Amino acid sequence: MAEVLGDVDSGEFVRLADVPDGDTRARLLRLGFLDGTVECRHHIRKGPVIVRRNGTELALGADLADSIEIERPRPEASD
Amino acid sequence: MEGCHDAGCDPSEIDAEDTLALVGCPNVGKSVVFGELAEQYVDVSNYPGTTVDTTLAEFGDYTLTDTPGVYGISSFSEEERVTRDIVLETDAVINVVDATHLDRDLFLTLQLLDMGIPTVVALNMMDEAEADGIDIDVEALEAALGVPVVTTVAIDGEGFDELRKRVPEATAPEQTAIDEFYDELPEQLEADRPEKTLLVEGDEELPTAFDVGGVMADGGSPALVESGLREEIYSQRRSRVQSIADSVQTVTRTDDSIAERVSDLMINPLTGTPIALALLGLIYYFIGDLVAQRLVDTLEGELLGPHYIPAVESFVAGLLPDVAWLEPLEFLLINDNLGLLTVTVQYVIGTLLPLVVAFYLAISVLEDSGVLPRLAVLTDRGLNRIGLNGRAVVPMIVGVGCVTMAVITTRMVGSKRERTISTALLGLAVPCSAQLGVIMGLMAGLGLIYWFGYLGILLVVLGVVGVFLDRTLPGQSESLVTELPRMRAPRPGNILRKTYNRAKMFLREAIPLFAGTAVVVSVLDYVGGLAAIKDGLRPLTALVGMPADFGQILVLGLIRRDFAAAGMTDMALSSAQVFIGLVVITLFVPCILSMVMILKERDAKSAALMWLGSWVTAFTVGGVLAAAFGVFG
Repeated sequence: MAEVLGDVDSGEFVRLADVPDGDTRARLLRLGFLDGTVECRHHIRKGPVIVRRNGTELALGADLADSIEIERPRPEASD
Repeated sequence: MEGCHDAGCDPSEIDAEDTLALVGCPNVGKSVVFGELAEQYVDVSNYPGTTVDTTLAEFGDYTLTDTPGVYGISSFSEEERVTRDIVLETDAVINVVDATHLDRDLFLTLQLLDMGIPTVVALNMMDEAEADGIDIDVEALEAALGVPVVTTVAIDGEGFDELRKRVPEATAPEQTAIDEFYDELPEQLEADRPEKTLLVEGDEELPTAFDVGGVMADGGSPALVESGLREEIYSQRRSRVQSIADSVQTVTRTDDSIAERVSDLMINPLTGTPIALALLGLIYYFIGDLVAQRLVDTLEGELLGPHYIPAVESFVAGLLPDVAWLEPLEFLLINDNLGLLTVTVQYVIGTLLPLVVAFYLAISVLEDSGVLPRLAVLTDRGLNRIGLNGRAVVPMIVGVGCVTMAVITTRMVGSKRERTISTALLGLAVPCSAQLGVIMGLMAGLGLIYWFGYLGILLVVLGVVGVFLDRTLPGQSESLVTELPRMRAPRPGNILRKTYNRAKMFLREAIPLFAGTAVVVSVLDYVGGLAAIKDGLRPLTALVGMPADFGQILVLGLIRRDFAAAGMTDMALSSAQVFIGLVVITLFVPCILSMVMILKERDAKSAALMWLGSWVTAFTVGGVLAAAFGVFG
């Protein structure tokens, strides 16, 4: 079973691989959150996940975070 | 700055041929740039058909429009739709870009250029970029974009002479990478470049209808372009953004700033919850105590009550001849319940104005400091359980100050479904500060156990009704998706300007509504309708174990919530009856002004259901309590 953003701990770097909702995917795409690895700044227990990329922080609700599939990049692939 | 604003002029008085729009992402300083550029302030109002504010002013030969902050132009939100419509109509734009978020903001810039909108880029917050160790080669950026780029520090007024000088140079490249996608559109489609760009990006609400081979197709209909094209275009634009950002900026990593550490503390539930509670306490003290109680009491009790009202009453009595047929008019103007020139004016100036100003001051400080989205993060988990997301925390906070104000702030909670839930909960189970003041006084005589009982019942009702609405309203609530802007100290000038504009717009909309309501209530009072209503309420007052006189309290509660609580102080009631009465008048319909505002913000059907639902809930809970306490009316 694929890992989701809701499984990621604070401080980890991951790539958002699949965002099922089209509008949310487009919004994340615009902000550059699908361009490469993002940092999970905070994961509030059963609450929102705060991700950061290039200085922009975004809070995503728990339900949404549980629907976003992630990939863990190999160290040399992270940007 | 000589403002025609004070003279009350309207946008049609601007003697400018061309239009210029300020466009940018949220929190990039657009409003400050607007304030610096506006030579003649004109008007702030809702964009037609929406609840989104836009501001107009005169700037040189242009009519300048401040648009809502957006990350891109499409139709994902009301703000985006408004910005899209303005951009499609404007002659040129100043695109305000946050120099600390070049990578994020250039998406919108490239979209504007793809649309062929003549653009000047104001690269703002250069001071913060420098502090963050970000170095931007402005000439290289200008060359890469092909439009003028001017560096600014809006809060200090830096760079504005250059910006004013270069606005006429606004331009857009004749061709961009978007051109290749235009082939996807039907050949016979008669659309201009901005429309074509939005159409290939799958904008679903472009209002123009296009004639395609004799078939009228709505712009952006999936039939016009293949699905998935939007993502291809966005991905390609993101690649261009990344390439430009990488080539023009150098980032030297700096340590976590103080603002970042404060942000971390606010987001962590262990530290954020006490901080949030302290902030809420501070806001309650400011709005609910200092303003709603002390200032309003002083204005009403020491200024308007003893001086203004007797003066108006004697003026009207002296002005109107003592003849029978003028009696209704005199009653309408100066009756004690809701006289148009007496109590109505007293409400508007003595109560509403201070509350509105205090509320907008507090909200502006929270907005500009970046606290609001962090409160949303903290409360998201709890609010999810009642079909809301974290953004709904704002109306709840504001509601404890004034429910009428809070109804307006439900605009920020997301979808229509969430707005309906939060408005219903506000109208039902959130007592306003004016009412709370009197309730606290009455509760003091009953003891702490009753106070906890009162709060517990309100929380239970809030939870049960929230869950009920979440399960019965169609659709799904939206998950929280919110950017956390950098935390910073708010600028007093910006706070005051926002507060002034918003309070003025609110009063301009609310005063006619309130005056109309006053006329209706006064007419009803004059013809004996209010007394008939009181009599009709007898079965309900008996149901909740209260004497028939409680009907008068309910009628007063319809007009103003604290009137109802205050009216109870004169009644001979047992402790249990006081407790039940206070629960009933809290859950009972909100005051007239709140109801009018609910009617304005929601549709008539929703408002009627909320009104009816408040009655049913109030008397059901009151009836259960009466049975539990064994009291009978």
